[in-house]
Amino acid sequence: MLEIRGLNVSYERVQVLWDISFNIEAGEVVTLLGSNGAGKSTTVKTIQGLLKSGSGSIRFMNRSIDELPAYKIVEEGVALVPEGREIFPKMSVLENLILGAYASRARDLLKDSLEWVFNLYPKLEERKEQLAGTMSGGEQQMLAIARALMSKPKLLMLDEPSLGLAPVIVLQVFDIIKKLKEEGVTVLLVEQNIHHALEISDRAYIMEKGRIILEGKGSDLINNHYVREAYLGM
Amino acid sequence: MDIGVLIQILVWGIYAGCIYILLAIGLNLIFGVMKVVNFAHGELLMLGAYAAFWIYTFSSINPYLIVPLSMLLIAILGIFIERLCFRPIMGTGKLNEIFLSLGLIYLFQNLVAFLWSTNSRYIRSPYGEVVVHIGAIKLPLDYLIIIIVTIVFLIAFQLFMKKTTTGRAMRATSQNREAAALMGINVERMDMLSFALGSALAAAAGSLWLISGQMANPYMGAIPAIKAFAVVIIGGLGSIPGAIIAGMTLGIAENVVPYFMQALVAVFGYEMSFTGWKDTIAFLILIIVLILRPTGIFGERGE
Repeated sequence: MLEIRGLNVSYERVQVLWDISFNIEAGEVVTLLGSNGAGKSTTVKTIQGLLKSGSGSIRFMNRSIDELPAYKIVEEGVALVPEGREIFPKMSVLENLILGAYASRARDLLKDSLEWVFNLYPKLEERKEQLAGTMSGGEQQMLAIARALMSKPKLLMLDEPSLGLAPVIVLQVFDIIKKLKEEGVTVLLVEQNIHHALEISDRAYIMEKGRIILEGKGSDLINNHYVREAYLGM
Repeated sequence: MDIGVLIQILVWGIYAGCIYILLAIGLNLIFGVMKVVNFAHGELLMLGAYAAFWIYTFSSINPYLIVPLSMLLIAILGIFIERLCFRPIMGTGKLNEIFLSLGLIYLFQNLVAFLWSTNSRYIRSPYGEVVVHIGAIKLPLDYLIIIIVTIVFLIAFQLFMKKTTTGRAMRATSQNREAAALMGINVERMDMLSFALGSALAAAAGSLWLISGQMANPYMGAIPAIKAFAVVIIGGLGSIPGAIIAGMTLGIAENVVPYFMQALVAVFGYEMSFTGWKDTIAFLILIIVLILRPTGIFGERGE
């Protein structure tokens, strides 16, 4: 579904991604793991078109998307839940969700999509008139995920969805990702919360200093010697 | 003090306030979406007035019917300004935006002076002689029309921003540009639209001003633009309700306060006119607000 070959990305003149190659098959949950500054966020932002790649190719559903601007990539069926949520604080929950279905592909399905995300997060329906900026961090994260789902993405990318959330809420976030996987949504997850992430992933790539250094099945990586030592502290 | 005169002056104030509000809302919109301060906004008012003048001179149809035409022309000009001037320098620093828009002021003022001379131009409103009597109060019909037209524009603008998909997308872009792009919004198109809409509102202000009896000349935009900036700052950067309240306050205060001052000195037996104090009063209000509440009445912290 998504195929990345030899991707190099630079900020200003500093190269931050080096020869990144990986792929995601339809229906998979794939995780990018790594510490701060490893290039995970840069990778998803480049896929989404928020950053320009220096060289390499990004193909989605067998179409090259690396020259497209972000808003067109949303039309292609890729959605990103950005790090820090980035909801629209001065709009109601409902308006945030309606904006999520802005892409022409999703606009006609607005009613169905609303029903779908309200099913996933009943709380959002109760709060739909509330200003998004007045909700708690966990609720905002749910809103951010729901808003991305409103575009009916074929590929959903989540950038550190558990960042800064209470442990109970973190579990809820991972539960939702599991649910989405059951519904057939393909997910690319960026996480530092390695244990939870590996549990729900089919496969994972481990990044360090802008390169992919390891890849494998989620279950294998949990038992991998290097991963246990470097990331799980065991 | 005569209540009838006071109400008359009040209506003048509201009329002046309408012009400031139309300008200030455009400024706010452009700033909100693009984070650009267009100092040449007053020149869009001036060009709108000239557009109305020339269309009227060559067609002599009812000048109020010309207003939408003038708005359309200046909106198109706004699109060109956004595309050719502001887009290429976006993100290169505030100083570039400031110098660019200051340059546009001189460009437009001198271009108009060169093409059409600095002579004052005016048109006769078909209702110029019509005065509405409410009891003893006499109000020029033109002022009332302008107040009503402004209210209609404000309601239409508010409905557009709140109820339409495009309006919602513009608000989203002003709240978080990157997140808006993630929704599939073409944010550069929103820049273009905000500039077009802001320019159209400035043109509406300019042509309405001309029709109500003001002279058009190449430099007419300067003072209203500074007042509109005051309105934006007093009301709070980016706040539409703030702009409406501040615009009304400014328009009314700068007309009513001189009248009170005149009445006050009359008590001591002097006869003086304070109408020349208009601008002083407007900027005094600005200074007081900046001291007491630097973010404006409806403003938020930050930036």
